[in-house]
This record gives sequence, C-alpha cells and structure tokens, in this order.
Amino acid sequence: MIDVKAKISSFFIFNSSFGPREGEELQRILYFYPSQTSADSQKMQVGLCEAVIKFMSTFSQKPCEALRTQTKKYIFYQPEKGYWMVLVVRIPYTTKAMSAIGESKGTDFVIPSVMFDLLKSSYKMFRMFRGLFKNFSIEEIYSVCDQFFTPYILSRNISNDVADVIQGINYLPLDKNSFFKVLCFIDLLELNYPQFKCISFIYNEQLIWNGLDTDDMLTLYQYLVQSLLPKEVEKEIHGGAVAAAQRHGRFIYPPEGNQEEKLMKVYLKREEDSEAKQYYLVVYRTMSATICLTVDVNVEVQPEMLRSLDAFIGPQLSTIASTIGEQCTIHALQTAQLLSEHKFVYFNRLNLAFKTSPSVTKLHPSTAVKPEVLSIIADIHTDKKRYVHLGNYGEIIIKTPDEYWITGKSSNDREFYVIIQEKNANLKEIADEVRRICETQMKGIFFYPM
Amino acid sequence: MASTSKDVPAVVIQDNPPDDLEPGACHDSILNPTDSFEEFASEMSSSLQERNISLATKSSTISEIQSEIGENSAPMKPTKSSDDLQTKDESISASTSNSNLTEQNGDDTDTEKDDYLQSPELVNKEKHVFILSSAGKPIYSRYGNEDKLAGLCGVIQALVSVVEEQNQDILRSISTNDCKAVFLVKGPLILVAVSKSDESETQLVLQLTYAFNQIVSVLTLTQLNRIFEQRRNYDLRRLLSGAERLIDHLLIFMEKDPAFLLGAVRCLPLPEKARENITNAIQTTCNKIRDLVFAIMLAGNQLITLVRMKKYTLHPSDIHLLFNLVRSSESFKTAESWTPICLPKFDSTGFLHGHVSYISEDCQACLLLLTVQRDAFFPLSQAKHTIADKLRRSNCLVAINDALNRNEELPTTNPLKHIGIPEIRHFMYKCKSTAQLFTSDPISLDKLQDYRLRHKEGGDIMEKKVEKLSDIDYVRNYRKFCSSIHCTSTPAKLIFRSNSCDTILAWVTNGFELYVTFDPLMEKDQAIKAVDRLLKWIKKEEQRIFIMHAPTF
Repeated sequence: MIDVKAKISSFFIFNSSFGPREGEELQRILYFYPSQTSADSQKMQVGLCEAVIKFMSTFSQKPCEALRTQTKKYIFYQPEKGYWMVLVVRIPYTTKAMSAIGESKGTDFVIPSVMFDLLKSSYKMFRMFRGLFKNFSIEEIYSVCDQFFTPYILSRNISNDVADVIQGINYLPLDKNSFFKVLCFIDLLELNYPQFKCISFIYNEQLIWNGLDTDDMLTLYQYLVQSLLPKEVEKEIHGGAVAAAQRHGRFIYPPEGNQEEKLMKVYLKREEDSEAKQYYLVVYRTMSATICLTVDVNVEVQPEMLRSLDAFIGPQLSTIASTIGEQCTIHALQTAQLLSEHKFVYFNRLNLAFKTSPSVTKLHPSTAVKPEVLSIIADIHTDKKRYVHLGNYGEIIIKTPDEYWITGKSSNDREFYVIIQEKNANLKEIADEVRRICETQMKGIFFYPM
Repeated sequence: MASTSKDVPAVVIQDNPPDDLEPGACHDSILNPTDSFEEFASEMSSSLQERNISLATKSSTISEIQSEIGENSAPMKPTKSSDDLQTKDESISASTSNSNLTEQNGDDTDTEKDDYLQSPELVNKEKHVFILSSAGKPIYSRYGNEDKLAGLCGVIQALVSVVEEQNQDILRSISTNDCKAVFLVKGPLILVAVSKSDESETQLVLQLTYAFNQIVSVLTLTQLNRIFEQRRNYDLRRLLSGAERLIDHLLIFMEKDPAFLLGAVRCLPLPEKARENITNAIQTTCNKIRDLVFAIMLAGNQLITLVRMKKYTLHPSDIHLLFNLVRSSESFKTAESWTPICLPKFDSTGFLHGHVSYISEDCQACLLLLTVQRDAFFPLSQAKHTIADKLRRSNCLVAINDALNRNEELPTTNPLKHIGIPEIRHFMYKCKSTAQLFTSDPISLDKLQDYRLRHKEGGDIMEKKVEKLSDIDYVRNYRKFCSSIHCTSTPAKLIFRSNSCDTILAWVTNGFELYVTFDPLMEKDQAIKAVDRLLKWIKKEEQRIFIMHAPTF
C-alpha cells in the first residue's frame, strides 16, 4: 500500500484571475494542502506553476499537464477555464552517492496516471456534491474548497492495485430471469412514483443497473463503494442482525428523522440529460442491495412520500436481493473452478466494465502485482494511441528483466491484460496461455483471434 | 531492483545456435561501447551539487599524450577569439537584467515575444531547440532569429533559476498532451528542446547533450567555461559563427539516423579483405608518425576503419560529431584542410588537430588524421597521399565505391532480399559490446538530402498520408520501443506488438539490441523463426558488416 499522504508533497487549487495585481497572489490560491505551508512558499509554488503554464501556452494549444524536476512531479489539471488543480508528488531518485553504496530507489514509486486520476476524480467528486467551481462567489469558494478537499485527500488510499490503474465498474453477471426481475422492479417503481428515477442498483459492490451517463456513474459508483457503503456495512454489523430482521430495509439518504431537511443535493447527468442537473439523491438499502434514486430539486419531498416509498420498495427489494444472493453463491462456485493461476484484467471502455481474476492477494499476499508491472499496464492502458497503438485489434507482449510477461489485447473498445511470471517461456507459449485464459475466463466476449 | 543479468538470448529463440558470441561481437572493440542511455540515466539523476562538480573536474587526455610523447605541453595559447573577449564592448548586458520580471507579470516584452513565437517562422514546428547562456542571452535557435527571442530566453532563464534557487531542485521537463519542453543546464549554458515529436524525455536530453558537445567541439569546455567566468553576459554567438550550421545539421542527423538512438556507429559494409588492406595501408604509413592519435576513414556517415593509439579509444558520440563535421563541411571536398577539433568525450579540455581530406576525386571516402601536434600538416598530408596511392593499387577504392553506390551484387545492399525473409519489412541491429549497428536499409546521404528538402520550410508538422514507409519512418516507429526498453524505472527485455499496420519486435539481450518490423498480425512462431534466420545471417556476414578488429599504430 502506498501511503498517499507521505507521497503528496502538496495539493493546491488556484485561479490567477482572483488576484490579478501584484501583492494579491494569496487570493489566487483557493486551496492549499498542507494548510500549514507558509504563505511565501505557497505563493512561490503557485507562481512557478503560473509561469510554467504560460510558457507552454506559447507552444501548445493543449493545457499544461506536468512539470518534472529532479525531486518532484507536478501534475496539472484544468477542469474549468482558469481553475487549475495541481498535485505535487515526490519522486524517488538516486544520487550518484547513493547508488555508489548500492542503495536503489524503493519500489514504492507512484504511477503518474494514477496520480492524475486521483486529481480528476477529486474534482468529479467535488462537482457531484458541490457543483462547478465557477458557481461559487469569491467569498464562498475558499471555505467550500477547504471543507470538501481536506477530508477527501485525507481519506484517499491508493492500494497499488490494478483497480487504481484502470478505473472501472464491477458489474454483476446475472441470469436472464433475475435480471428481468430487477428491471421489472425498477419499472414498477418509476411508474408508481413518477418523480423518482432509479439511477443505480448495486448488489454488494457490483453494479446491476445504471441510469446515468457512464462518466458520472463511475464517480457515483466510486463514492458508494469506496466511501458510503463500507461505513454502512460497518453499522449493520455493529447494529446486529435484530434491527435488520425487524425491517425490510432503510434509507441511507435521507437518514431517519428530519428527512426533508437532510436531503442531499447532487449534480448528475442522467442518461437522458444533455447536461448535469441538480437532484436530490435518495439511497435505500436492504440486505446487500442498494438502490439510488434521484428527484428533481423542484419537487417537495414529503416525509409521507418517503414512508410510502419505503413500504413499496422494502418487501420487493428484499425478495429480489435474496434471489440475487442465491445466484451469487452459484456463480461463486462456478468461478472457483475456473480459478486462474495468473492475474488477468478485463476492461471495456464503453461501459467501464472491469473484471479481474479473483483476488489471490488475500490468500497469498506475496502475489500482489509489482508496481513495475502495474506501471507497464498503466502505460498500455493510457498511452493507447501513441505507443502501443493497438487500435481496434492488436496485441502487445512485454517481458521484464525479472521474468514477468505482460500481455495486453485490444478488440474494439475491450481490453484484456494477463500477467504471467515464467522463467523459461517463449513468446509463443505465452501467447497460447493468454489465449487459453481469455477463452475460459471471458466466455462469450469477442476478441479478435491473434 | 533485481536484474537477472545472466540472461541468455535463447529465452525466445530456443533453437538459437550455441555460438560463442552474438553476431558482431568480438573481443576487441574499436569503440568505447559505453551505453549512452545508462550514462544518461546516471547523469540525469545527479543532484544539483554533483552537477556543478562534475563539469569542473576532468583531467586532460591530450596533455597526458603529449607528456608521454615527451613534448613540453605548452600552456594553451590564448586563441584569437579569446583576445576578442578582452576588448568586448559592454553594451550588451541590458537585455537580461529584467528577465526575472517578465516571468512574474505579463508585461509588454511578453506580448512582443508571443507575437514573434506565433509568426510563420516559428509556429507549428515539430521540434524547437534553444540554447542560451545562463544569464539568459540567446545563443542559438533552430528556427527564426534568436535576436528576437530575447524575451523567451529571459523566461527560460527565469524558470530554470527559480527552480534552482528557490526550490533547490533542477528543472527537467514540462509537458502538455502534445508537446514536451525539456531543459538541460550544462556548465554556463542552458539548452531547451520543445518538441511535438514522440521522442522520450531521455532521447531529447540526449540530443541536447549532443548539441552542447557540438559547441564544446568548436570551443573546448575549458574555453567555454573561461569565457563565462570572465563575463557572464558574453554573447557567445561571436565565437560560434559557423557552428550554427553544424548544430542545424546535427539536429536533422539525430532525428533520422538510428545511430544516435542506439548510441552506436554504422560501418560501411566491406569485404573483410578490403577492410584489412585499408587498415594495413594506414598502419604501415602512419606507424612512424608518433603524435598521431587517431586515423579515421569514413564515408557517407559510415565508418570504414579506425586506427588508434594504444590505450585510447573513441566514444561513439565523438565519432558522430566527426561524421557531422565531415558531412556539413563542403569545403573538405575541395582541399586538404587543417582544423582544430575538440572531441568532448575524449578530452573536453583541449583541441586535437585534424588533417581532413577526401581520398580522391573519384572516391567519397574521407580520411581524418588526428594528432596532438599543432604543426603537423605537411607530414600528415604526405601520409595521406601515400595511403591514397596504396588504396588505389590494392583496388580498395573500387570496393568502397561499390559499397557506397550500393551495388546490387553485394549481399548487404538489400539484405532482406538476400536473406529471403519476405515477412520482415525492416530491421535494425546493434551489437552492444562493439557499439556498432546495422540496418536493413541504411539511410543514405541522398535520402537525408530528400528529408532536408521536405523540411525546407523548416520541420513543420505535416499531416502526411503514409503510402509506403521510408526507413526513416521505421526508425521513428522504433523510438518509443527503444525508450521503453531502456526506461530506468520499468525496463523491458522484449516487446512484441502487433496491430493492423504492422508487427514490431524489440528485443534486448546482454549482447545485442534488435528491432524488427514484420507484416501485420504476424504469427509468433513465424516471427521467432524469422528472427532466428536473421540472426544467423548477421552472424554469417559479420566480418563484412562490422569492424571486428581494433587496430592500433
């Protein structure tokens, strides 16, 4: 596990137009982490970034992405015009003196694309819960940023796993009948309560139904799976089974009591929307199933309305949840037979579907993927166009000095990666093994034969 | 990091013949095969303090040779140019003093500079290279007029010094999605490349280092340092007139020729006997001339032979500078020349003196005789004529001309046809222990000329339709492979990439580096077989393709 806090040297957000004159530099800085950094040092870092952005703008139309110095990497992201988010990461490096005594850099280096994704998802989370930067007045923005980003940064963990390199959504495969039940339930719900729209159906940590723009879905999914649901599961365990047995299910948002005041506003783009709109978010959970509903902010949500909704959803959802639960047990048995000794990852760019080999890491911690290998996968995944250039169909096999073979396949928008550690293999054997894994694990998904 | 250095090539090709040495390897290398990438990795990871020290301390190989020969090594006479320095007018210091300000606030100088950078001379270039003094004074710009770039140079200087002074750090690079700016501070100079090509940061820094070495080759590092010690604001362009052209050529040369990518030297393929005769002719003629350090014969950016003083070797990057010098100087064709040359890797503190001439009217091979003697023109001229006569008598000139004109009958002229592997479109091979390379289709001089014509408007980025790839395009495609193979944090030993355009295999072992382009969607076992045959062929022809001996005087 990478300790993000130790790696992040600083994280700041600035907008140069907030303090255009000399002497007003501090006003440009909307947020600065760590907050105890001296004002001079803050000004200096932001000033350097401003200069660098300006310098590059004379050569390229594209926004500045990164600045690298001997010891640090600055990663830039401009989500809205004039608003720059910068993440500064320490990079391990060896000086000649250090390498002379045989000390080499640790294996804990941070993959650039992961850091960029961290920056981007922090903004998307901000946008979902707070809205656009530009909607805030100068008076508000400093405190809004502080309240949002400080807890966010402190809560993030980068576990050095494939899931951090390729950010996707875990879908739950269901048989036709069960899936049909889910669909019927959602249709019935929306028909009976036309103000509500179901935007997601999640079982455990796996998605079954999505009514959002895929990009927003990823953000909502990450919020649910990484932050909200773990807390709720914790509560359920401590609350004991009694409370759960008494009732069919419960609202997570808005929580019990004072419900109309505690409604949470979010900015989301539903499938049918052309742009993000503000909605109230309602989250309901029973057994292991969680559904998210949106309501237009102009609708007045009455407590009676929620009570009636609870009475409608509760029994139905728990029936469906137990059906799915049975399905999952059967499915788990089937996959156990297919257990692959090699790590693989599947990703579909169109629906962000992400599947990886059953986590062997829990059983054998030593089999965790090495950061070097992850970094190579990140390169293939992100640098698709320029280097690997697999296009609609292609394949790349890379062998590292420590006998790891990393294979990446692409078919239209689908990607498949396999990591094999094998000392005396040749290209052909690796390719055959990858084909075999692809056929058994990804049954029914088309890959061009290579 | 764990590296398994005991790796055998047979990992991929298990039926590889158990030869003692990989193709092209010999026990005695004429070149110093230091891997420039590895050298580079260490250079790039040096801290601020280490960097300052490393440039200051270097002993002089030239004076070592002079003292060995028993000659009083007279202190280097102040050259004409440094006299010039003493009488320099003081008026040129104005432009840099306000450079720090331009960075802080966008004022008028900034907008002026922006306008010029957007002018047709400069906009939309694939790769800019700027060289300036650490005081921010422009020295060289690949495109446009560096005089008008004073504003930009001020900004660059300010960026570099802010990072160094306020953060105690070194500025390396800035990037956008489509563009990279790479910074290199070397002694009193700041070199910057702003590139939209797909070269890696390391590859760009390597090119900047070459550009720096080109300047050192004209001035020597000692002189360069002294000039700026005496006057920080000195306008170096006064001393570099003529060198701009060398840098221009060098930049084009580096973008095209894989020799730079691989840190290796290309040899002119010659029958073993012919090369032996040439080497003998040089050895027998020159073994009495005791100050002679190197005798180098080259033609069309390819090395024919190199005879050297015992104990001293040349680094490929020094040879590249010599290639560039010969190729860029038309005047060598018309007359025998006597020219001071500093070879930065060999000895950056002083000049060697070179007798440079073409062998004859009817043979485009160029002979360089490098000595530590300042006044050896006549004995060397004499030696050159003797050598030329011997070569003519032993029919070596014909052999050289055949190779240069790419005579159809030679196996090396069209190797792919000769080996008979139709599914290979292009390959490039480097023997690591001798730092020599061979490609299926040598980039010939006229092709470089074509390239220059195509880029006459000055390296503009063009959306081009690819009909048939030229060898230059193949090499461009290898760049990314080369940089991931040599990546310091996540190196690779083998990359096999297949898509709808082509299949590329990049493979590095302890002994060689190989890059092959096949037809698209190539089967792996077929690729393995093809590579196997290719390696056998190279082994068979190694005496012709490579220089397998390291002759000395």
